[in-house]
Amino acid sequence: MAQYWFGEISGDICIPFASRDPQHLSERLDSLIDDPEQYTPFSWESAKDCGYIGSRHEYVQVLRSLCIFRAERDLATISRHPEQEILHMVRMLDQVDEAVNLLAEKALDWHAAKDPTFSRKYRHVRGRKAREILLGSENHLVRAIAQELTALSDVRETLSKEVMTLTSGVMPNSSRLVGGVVAARLLSSAGGLSRLARLPAGSIQVLGAGPALFSHLNSGSPSPKHGILFQHQRVHSSTKERRGNIARTLAAKLAIAVKIDYYRGRVDPEFLESAERALKRAGGRP
Amino acid sequence: MIRIGGVLVSEGESGVYGERTLDGFRVWNPYRSKISAYYSLGGDVELESGMRVLYLGAAHGTSVSHVADYTEIVYAVENAYAPMRDLLAVASRRKNIIPLFADATQPSSYAPLVETVDVLIQDVAHPDQAGIAMKNSVFLKTGGPALIVVKARSVDVSRNPESVVEEICRILEESPLTVGKVIWLEPYHRDHAILVCKKNP
Repeated sequence: MAQYWFGEISGDICIPFASRDPQHLSERLDSLIDDPEQYTPFSWESAKDCGYIGSRHEYVQVLRSLCIFRAERDLATISRHPEQEILHMVRMLDQVDEAVNLLAEKALDWHAAKDPTFSRKYRHVRGRKAREILLGSENHLVRAIAQELTALSDVRETLSKEVMTLTSGVMPNSSRLVGGVVAARLLSSAGGLSRLARLPAGSIQVLGAGPALFSHLNSGSPSPKHGILFQHQRVHSSTKERRGNIARTLAAKLAIAVKIDYYRGRVDPEFLESAERALKRAGGRP
Repeated sequence: MIRIGGVLVSEGESGVYGERTLDGFRVWNPYRSKISAYYSLGGDVELESGMRVLYLGAAHGTSVSHVADYTEIVYAVENAYAPMRDLLAVASRRKNIIPLFADATQPSSYAPLVETVDVLIQDVAHPDQAGIAMKNSVFLKTGGPALIVVKARSVDVSRNPESVVEEICRILEESPLTVGKVIWLEPYHRDHAILVCKKNP
């Protein structure tokens, strides 16, 4: 007996499938695909002989609506997965940071040009402090820009919290190990959890250090010790001599954490504890 | 193939991707489409109105829309999320495109839906392009032509494109496909070639 999407043929007898509804057809098709049978070429005429459809036009119509239904269903499944959204959110986060800093710098330059007493010496004019100065500017346009920047920074804070919430769901172990935002950046740089889970620790260690890595491979400059991982507090707050060591250990443990995240998807407290111990040995403060 | 003053065109609803029109026909730009480049360089596998086509690597559906203008039906296989949304938008306006959101390296996932086709077109960015062509040749009728776009840089960026094409031809010797001509798509596309194959009896 041969199974087709439109019916079953055994010898001369053909039983057409009872429905033309894309959803019912799709369920039938899933069971056909799961059955790893050798492909037997068929022609649409079998569907006609079977009595499932009356004409070529009808055949194409039913088949097309079935395939569009399946494609739309599969796209919807992917778009619902939080991983897709994390990729875009973390890219947006970095872009907002860049935009806020750039605009604040330009606005400060403008403010300084109009105010002869303004100097950045002996004080820390960045972030919130910079925006406060701009909000007190005499120029109403500078004030307007400062207001926009304040609003945008608030959005940034909300966004980064949201990224952390989402990553702690998708990457429970790695986000506990390196923090939500760094884990999300690694995810975005690798292009998805399945790809990140397949990367060796050495690649995770230099993820985000592409130019340095290629200049090392091509012209023999010193190899990069860390890429995105540098943003993790353990790495950037330790001494220069220890950083490579810590980044390497961290990457090794991350490679395992990501694999647990991808294949198991649950927190593994035992693993996290042993990873902490390894990091302490490597010299990283908790 | 329809040409107006040497410009390759196709007949169908325009506005798919902002393509120019000429006397009501859609201009098929060889710089944007490898299949158009093939025809602009004298390719002789004609697309005819009754033909059934299996198109692997349909991407955003721009080339597919032109192929669909010429033929009876196009089975368009695409595996990536973002292009697939565009392909679906094209397929919803053209009644003869069957969109298949599937991986061309796993033909069994769409085999129950695809009938025997007259032409196989493959334009995939994958290291194993020869393997994909071999696996999908089961859908092609005996004696039918296959246009295999070889993206040499997708096989190995660092290798010489000519040697990549030679290797793919060598692998295909073991397959049901016989490679006839190799057409390099210069000046329209760099490091791309089209292997014009035929399925053995």
